[in-house]
Formats: sequence, structure tokens, C-alpha cells
Amino acid sequence: MVIDLKCACLYLSRYPLYQLGNPQLRIFRTNFFMTLVKPGKEQPPDTVQFRIPMEMTKCDIKNYLEKIYSVPVGAVRTRIQYCTNKKRNHLNQRVKRPDYKVAYVQLVQQQTFQFPEIFPQKDTALEPGSVEEMQDQFMQDEQQRQKADPRRGGVTEWFGL
Amino acid sequence: MAAPSRLPLLQFCSTRVFLLRCTQGFHSEPAVQEPAYPPVIPSRTAKSKSAKKRREEDYYNQVRAASSVQDKLRLLTKLQREKYVVYPQTFTLNADRWYRHFTKTVFLPGLPEKCSVGRQVVDQENGKVPPAAGGVDPTVVDENTFSELRYLVGNGILQENFYLKKRRPFLQKEQEHFVAPFLSNLVSSVTNALAKYNPLLKMSSLDFNPEVSFYWMRGERTVPRGHRRGRADPIRFQINDQPHCQIRVPQQLEEFLPLQESVSAEVPVVQFEPNRLPMFQRQYDNNIFIGSKVTDPCSYGHTQFHLVHDRFKRDRLLKGNLADQIEVRLRANAIASLFAWTGAQAMYQGFWSHEDLTRPFVSQAVVTDGQYFSFFCYQLNTLALTVQTDHNNPRKNICWGTESMRLYEAVKDGEVVGLNDDVLKLLVHFLLNKPQKM
Repeated sequence: MVIDLKCACLYLSRYPLYQLGNPQLRIFRTNFFMTLVKPGKEQPPDTVQFRIPMEMTKCDIKNYLEKIYSVPVGAVRTRIQYCTNKKRNHLNQRVKRPDYKVAYVQLVQQQTFQFPEIFPQKDTALEPGSVEEMQDQFMQDEQQRQKADPRRGGVTEWFGL
Repeated sequence: MAAPSRLPLLQFCSTRVFLLRCTQGFHSEPAVQEPAYPPVIPSRTAKSKSAKKRREEDYYNQVRAASSVQDKLRLLTKLQREKYVVYPQTFTLNADRWYRHFTKTVFLPGLPEKCSVGRQVVDQENGKVPPAAGGVDPTVVDENTFSELRYLVGNGILQENFYLKKRRPFLQKEQEHFVAPFLSNLVSSVTNALAKYNPLLKMSSLDFNPEVSFYWMRGERTVPRGHRRGRADPIRFQINDQPHCQIRVPQQLEEFLPLQESVSAEVPVVQFEPNRLPMFQRQYDNNIFIGSKVTDPCSYGHTQFHLVHDRFKRDRLLKGNLADQIEVRLRANAIASLFAWTGAQAMYQGFWSHEDLTRPFVSQAVVTDGQYFSFFCYQLNTLALTVQTDHNNPRKNICWGTESMRLYEAVKDGEVVGLNDDVLKLLVHFLLNKPQKM
């Protein structure tokens, strides 16, 4: 009995080795996580910008997007953004902002992508006749009254005869 | 005693003047002379916009007044600054749209009417004598000659792929190993065979691996960093191209469309900076070269032959999900190379952005990867691409082009299978192109 248990333990502790052609019993998920970001500078419409871990390469990004998200990828370009080590904390120690890698992915077949507006700008159109609108109008008139005469061309009030 | 004869001056003068005044009469107007002041123009050295304009005007006048073409080119290209390097064979996506924007070119699918209508290249009657120079129908070739050409082409293909025992080439050298010698062979043999039909070819010059380069400015941007920060600066471009071979001729080819005729298609406008394509900047010598120096008699272009590099071959693009980019890249190659060649030809004749063309410059190109051939025609109508000169310029450059066509299907057991006659006819038509007067 004891010997049987020992055999069972040994069998469980060693998993079946994988060789090419064996059935894949385990699913390997990557440790990489990509973040889609809004481009800081204007990019052409077929370009998508990601922040990716430093260890990822262009081939990794292509495979990642094609296999996991089934998005066909045309071209990938990467760069590393260096972030400052100049800032200091309250103890005057230099604090490093971590570097990150940016990937620009171009899509195939003229597909376009526009990063959505997450914080839409509200039009502050005040209702005519409301209290806020009258207050706003009053403040604008007050500011207009306080401004100097434009015909004086920037010369101060006290300068004159 | 002072000279008693000396009359008092005043008396003398007054009487004389009085007499003079009397003789001249009171009716005529006294001769009024306008004071001659120098022209009121802004300073040359002041730190002002008008002074900058004056310096620019002086520079343009200096270029216009240059004594020879070499001087003109030297003045235009002597200032070195950072410029975008345009590669005709590029890995970038959708490059042809960007290149059309940089060169103000319109792309029209198919070939111009001169090439498609009446493309009776091969004369069906046997035994017809080839026409003399200036004959009635110069674009017709004898049936015998055409079959000879077919034999030459087939032989060339077999030579590289079957007859010669070649070692497997190293990585990415297949085109150089197999296709480049075939293309050289093809061009030289076909031109020799067609020389009796086209006297222009007898006077032409066939260059192998020539260098074609062109430098131009298009658009404007604000300099972001450096000691010139904040100033408006034109965006500069440079093409350094090396076609496989080219034919240069001493007389210009005829235009496909009249200069003033407007084309319905539009030049695409790209709002982004060229570095988003991506395209990279460098600073080096600004070259303008057609393949020979200015004093060479063959200063006009006829046809260029381009070989697609291994990196941009069809199977690589198909593997990388870029099937639609095949045609795009061929077009981009043709537009960039032909714009550079025709632009350089125009500059060799003394035209530049402020002295625009008075006649269009025309050239042709064949882009191939050994099996697939595409034919392009380019007409340069304007060199005025800078912001100042492009303001009221309705002219556009035009590029015609075909899709890629297979020349042959495969090589089996010492036989070329499926040799396409249409491609050969187009090639013959291209090479027989010559000005009407010849």
C-alpha cells in the first residue's frame, strides 16, 4: 500500500514531457499586456498606438494581435520612451519615472481606427433668461467696462495733460 | 591800378542775364530737371521681413541670371539642410498616395491613348519590308521580327533558369542572381533588334546601373528645435535612385497630353508630416543627375527598367498580409523614379521652380520582378512645387500605369510555358516610341 502511494505521488509530481507532435494539454497564455493609448501627436488614420512592456518585440506584437484578437497587422514600429530621472522627492533623492515602450501598428487593407473621445466636451450653452446667464452677461459687461480705452493704444490713464 | 577794362561783375551779369532772358522769350517754359533719387527699396541686412524678401529676390535673380546650367544647378543645390530621403522601392504602406502628394502627380490607370489606340504593333502580312525612317506607320513591326523577339526573350529566360548551372544564391540575392542578367540581356537584345524600326534607338545611350537623383522642395513647416526654431522652412526631398538600366536619347519624346489640358483626377492632399509615413531625414550632398553630366548629348530620357528587390517580392508581401500593397508599391516606385528622372532632365534644360516648364517632359518605365511586368508613362508638366510658386499653379504631373502582367507562366523541361504576347507587344511599343518628326 505504502509503495503504491509512493508510486502515485511520483507519477503526479512529474508531468508528461511535451515533444513536437504531442497533444497540447496545457494552454500557455502570455505574460504581456498591451495598452491602447490615444496618440499624443496626430497619426495617420490607419495607425494604432500601444504602450507595451519593454520585453516585447515587433514580431511578438504581430503574433499577439493576430492570434489572440484576430486583427491582421500590416506593419509594426516600436520605440522606447525615456522618462526623467531628474525629479526629486522630499528627501532630495532622485526619483525615476519608469521608461516605457510604444508601438505603432499599421492596419491592412485601408482599415482605419480613431481613438474614441472618452471625455466629451460639454457645450456650456446657458439657457437664455436663467440666472447664470444674466450673471455671466453682467461679468462680461463689467470686464468690458474695466478695460482701458483702445484708442489710447496701451498708454496708461495717468499719462496726459 | 586794377584793370580799368574790368567791368563790375554784377553789371555784367545782370545785363547778360537780362539779355539772355530777353532773347529766350517769356513764352517758353524753363527746362525743369527732375531730381534723380535712388529707388526706395528695403535694406539687405536688416532684421526685418522686407529685408528677408529682398534677399530672397536677389537670390532668385542671381539664379535666373546664371550663365550656364551647371552654375544654376550649383546655386540651387549648394545650401545643405536636413531633407527627407524618398526611396522609390519602399517598405512603407500606402506609399503611392504620399508620393503623389509630394510630387503633385495624378495617377491614371491604363496607358495613354497614344499607346492603347491603334496598338497594331505586329504587321500580320508576311514579307513586309521594314519602313524607312519617317515611314507612314512607324509603330508596326514585321511578323518575322516579332517572332525573333519571342525567341530572344524565351532564350534569355532559359539561359538564366535552365541552361546555366547556378549555385543557390545567398539570402535575398535571388533577383540579382537570376533576374538581373536576364533583364540586361532582354533590354540589349530587344533594342538591337528594334533599332532598324526606330532610328532614335541608334542614337541612344543604354546605361546599366545608372544613378538618377533629384532634389526638390514642397510645402512648408515651422522648425521645431534648434537655432532656427520658429521659422517657416520649406520641406526638402531627395531621391537617389538606381534603376537596373535606362535608355537616354538626344531628342525629346512627344507629349501624351497638351500642357494646358486639365485632368479630372485630383492630387491627394496629406495633412500629416512626411515622418509619419515613416520617412527619415538626413543632411548630405544635394544631387541632381539624370545618369550623365549636363554636357552629354543624350540629355533626354526614353525608358527606364526597374528590378524589384528581394525584400519587396510578391511572395513576401503575400506572406505578410499585404496582398493589396503589391500594386501600390509598383506605382510608388514608378512615380518616384520617373518624377526624379523627368525633373532632372528639365533642370538640365535650365527650368526650375521659379522658371516653370514651357514644354512637358515625358519618360517611360518598366518595373519587373522577372515574371511580372508593369508599364508606366510619366509626363512632367510643372516643377513649381514650392509654396510660393504653387499658389496659382493649375498644372499637375501625370502618371499612367498598368497592372502587373505575367510574361511567362513557368519554365519546364527546357521550355518556357505560357509566353504572353501582349506584354511583349507593349514592350515593343514602348521601345518604338519616338518623336513625330523623326
